[in-house]
Amino acid sequence: MQLKDQVALITGGSRGIGRGIAEAFAREGARVAIVYKGSREAAEQTVGKIVAAGGAALALQCDVTSPEAAQETVARVRQEWGRLDILVNNAGVIQDGLFIRMEPEAWNTVLQTNLGGVFNFCRAVAYDPFVRQRSGRIINISSVAAEHVNQGQTNYAASKGAINSFTRALAVELASRGITVNAIAPGFIETDMSAAVLNKAGEGLIKKVIPMRRLGKPEDIAAVAVFLASPASAYITGQVITVDGGLSLGAVAE
Amino acid sequence: MPTQTEIYEKVSATLVEALNVDEEDIKPDSTLQGDLGAESIDFLDIVFRLEREFGIKIPRGELFPESIFQGDPDFVQNGRVTEKGLAELRAKMPFADLDQFAADPQVSHISDLFTVEMIARYIQGKLAESGKN
Repeated sequence: MQLKDQVALITGGSRGIGRGIAEAFAREGARVAIVYKGSREAAEQTVGKIVAAGGAALALQCDVTSPEAAQETVARVRQEWGRLDILVNNAGVIQDGLFIRMEPEAWNTVLQTNLGGVFNFCRAVAYDPFVRQRSGRIINISSVAAEHVNQGQTNYAASKGAINSFTRALAVELASRGITVNAIAPGFIETDMSAAVLNKAGEGLIKKVIPMRRLGKPEDIAAVAVFLASPASAYITGQVITVDGGLSLGAVAE
Repeated sequence: MPTQTEIYEKVSATLVEALNVDEEDIKPDSTLQGDLGAESIDFLDIVFRLEREFGIKIPRGELFPESIFQGDPDFVQNGRVTEKGLAELRAKMPFADLDQFAADPQVSHISDLFTVEMIARYIQGKLAESGKN
C-alpha cells in the first residue's frame, strides 16, 4: 500500500475521474474525503463502495467556489481524521459555446469553479497544515484542452491553462517546505462530462485521433494520481503530466 | 508581561519549529537568512507563529519590511544606503541594531539586521505597547 494512513481530500470526488481517484487512493490505504456539490447520492454510493471494501471514506457537500466553504470542509476533514496529506483539485465543469455567443455567466461559472476552486482549496491547505507540517501533495486535474484547444471552449481552455500556470507558480513557492504541486492533463476519458462530446464526435473519430485507439478510463488517471501522491514522486514538482493515449501528439490515423 | 528571557526563549522555540533548526544553532546574533537559512516563505511562517505564540497582531511589513527602499535614489546610491536612508531605517525598524550596519551600509547587508535578538526586541516592544492599552 503506497498511501497507508494518509488522508486525502478530493473535490468533485463523487463521479467520473474524481471517483476513480478516490477509489484508487482508498485501495492504497488512504482515508478519503469525497467532496461533492450536488450529487449526494453518487457521493454516498462511492463512500459505501469504499467502506464495503474495508476502506475509510467520508462524503462532504461543498461548493468549491466559496472560500469559506473550502476552509470549513478542510477543517471538517482534519477534525475527523486529525490530519491532511493530499489534496486533489478535480472539481470542474464545462459550459461550451462559441465565443461570440458566450454569456458572461458561462465564462464566470467555468472560471470560478475550475480555477477558483483550485485557489480556494489550495489556500485552505497551503499554510496550515501543509507548510506547518513540512509536507503535502497537491494534484490539480487539468486537461489536454488547455494546450490542444477545441472550438466552443474558450472558457474551459482558459481555466485549464490557468491551472497549469498556477501549478508551476505554487510549486516554486512551496518546494522548500517539502510540498509538491503537480497537475494531470487527461485526454478523452469516459465520464459523464465527456459523454456529450463523445456522442457528438462518434466512435470513429475517437479512434482516428487517439493513437491508442481507445478512450481513457478514470483508472488511467487515478494511477497517475496515486503516483503523484506517493513517495515515488517525491522529487517531481510543478509538472503537468499528460495522460491521453497519445491524443495530443496530433497524429491522425489514415 | 513575560520577562526578557522568557520572550527570547519563546522566540527561539518558534524559530526552531519554523526553520527546522537545532536549538543549539540559535544565538542572539544569528541572522535569519545567513545563519539559519530562512527563505521568504519562512519569514511569513515566522510572523504567523509569533502572532499565535504571543497573541499579538503583526501588521504586514512591520517586522520584516518586504522592500525597504523600493530603489529610491534618495535612500540608496551605488549599492549603499545614504544618510537619509539610514534615518528611514531607524524610523521603520526602531527595534533593529543599526550601529554596526551604519559603519558599512551596503544594501546587500540589510538582511544581516534580521537577527534572533532583533525579533525578541520587536516582540518586547509590541507587548509593552499592548500592555499600555
